[in-house]
Amino acid sequence: MQRFFRWSTRWWPGVIFLAILWAFAAWSTTAPLEADLVAQSTAALKNIVLDKSQIEVDGRDVTFAANAFSEQERLNAVAAVEAVPGVRLVNDDTRLVPEAKPFVWTAERDVVRVTLGGSAPLPATRNKLLDAAHADLKGVEVADQMNLARGAPDNFESAALVLIGQIGKLKTGKITLSDNKVSLTGMARDLGGREAIWDGLKNLPQGYSVASNDIEAPPYIFQAYKDPVAVTLTLSGNVPDEKVRAALVAAATRKFFEKVVDKLKVSLGAPSGFSAAVVPALGALSRLSTGTLVVSDRELKLSGDALYEAAAVQIRAGLGKDFPQGWAFKPEISVKPAAAPVDATVCQQLFSDILSKGKIHFEHGRATIDPDSAGLLDRLIETALRCPTATIEVAGHTDADGDDASNQSLSEKRAQAVVGYLVKAGLPADRFTATGYGSTQPVASNDTDEGKAQNRRIEFLVR
Amino acid sequence: MLYVAMFHWGWLLGALLLGFVAGWISVVQRGGVSRVTARWLTALMAVLVVAAVVRVVPGRAGYWLDLGLVMFALYLLGCTIGSCLRGWVVSRQRVAA
Repeated sequence: MQRFFRWSTRWWPGVIFLAILWAFAAWSTTAPLEADLVAQSTAALKNIVLDKSQIEVDGRDVTFAANAFSEQERLNAVAAVEAVPGVRLVNDDTRLVPEAKPFVWTAERDVVRVTLGGSAPLPATRNKLLDAAHADLKGVEVADQMNLARGAPDNFESAALVLIGQIGKLKTGKITLSDNKVSLTGMARDLGGREAIWDGLKNLPQGYSVASNDIEAPPYIFQAYKDPVAVTLTLSGNVPDEKVRAALVAAATRKFFEKVVDKLKVSLGAPSGFSAAVVPALGALSRLSTGTLVVSDRELKLSGDALYEAAAVQIRAGLGKDFPQGWAFKPEISVKPAAAPVDATVCQQLFSDILSKGKIHFEHGRATIDPDSAGLLDRLIETALRCPTATIEVAGHTDADGDDASNQSLSEKRAQAVVGYLVKAGLPADRFTATGYGSTQPVASNDTDEGKAQNRRIEFLVR
Repeated sequence: MLYVAMFHWGWLLGALLLGFVAGWISVVQRGGVSRVTARWLTALMAVLVVAAVVRVVPGRAGYWLDLGLVMFALYLLGCTIGSCLRGWVVSRQRVAA
């Protein structure tokens, strides 16, 4: 033992070489060791969900910063790094992801891009939402401004995916999900987009509700143009369905004796009460010599020339009264300049021309004038105004159905109803005589329905 | 430590061999450090070991301290083996003479 201690006092010269060896070892191994520890620590955290994970190694000491989504995950992550072989110390700079209250997520669309913002609960959810946006909005730039936060409501991902499905239906606008309340603002891309979004929102998971939906759609336009030169009535724009389209075309055919040109297309998004407003408006248009009816959402604009002053007053005052609630009527009715007076022969010719194009209709078996005949009656009144000195016999005729006495009575009442209409329009009563002929002067066979229809008529005879 | 040993086995082997050579030579060498110096050196080593165990030296310096101490420990082991072996060889030669 004595000898061993003596030997050991002579070991020091080797220490000089050892120091040189140590210096080389330290110089050459530090960087590879640090790189190895970074790689191992990163691998150890592979299966733990973290945000903004950052690992720095100084010698064998690891500085570990990350945002965890729960306290347990945070502890697990720190333990995993501590367990990496070779790590001497872990400087723990981890924290929990901040909690968002309320938990707000947004999807905003402008002309060129969709921006997803607000909070998302997990990186995987954020990526899924971005993927869904890319898939739904092909060719549109998708910008990610989402932050990660805790506090998302249950089924957040499903709800956000439903909302991403709706953003494509917007031209511009914003969808906000605040906890489990959805708010929407903006302009729908297409007619009916508003309704399509409402339908889409029905797929929101249970517990979610729509707090406000201020989506606007492009105006729902319907137009009718009465062209006196081409003698056409052109219907264009939108109608809610084929049934309404057929009903409008049928109403136009009844009310106008111009040719009806149907350029309508079926689109969703019609305001409620569409038919109830448009059908009477077509009736008013039929009374104008030339005119345009424009329906834009719930605003109805009728412009054109009435055939005489009283008609203009009636149209202005009468149409808006029967409109469905919420509809606005803007009449811009002027009066057509009075045509030059004509003599009795021309007057008769004009009456015959008008009545060859259309007939005055009455309710079945009664003497009440069908409102669809208003346009025709206005033309007859305009003609009567052009021959102020002529006396006119209004002659009523019926078909041969029923007994003669009642036919006679009906034909007289109908003739009187027409005279009453003319007088109400401002014509002097003494210029008109109402005569009923019953079925005594048929112009066609009473054996066919067609013939009977021709026999049921009102004639204007200038005396 | 196991990680350090595995990561640096070449350098540690070098320290062991260096210690073996130093120990081998020390048996027939004359002179040496005084007892007082040896005590001071021992105390210094003790301080360094304590510093390494309580991990008071941070970062790279801490790593270099660990590495130096491990290499020094193996150097001492090499010295012990070298000295004992040389001492045994020398004593056998004397017996034979």
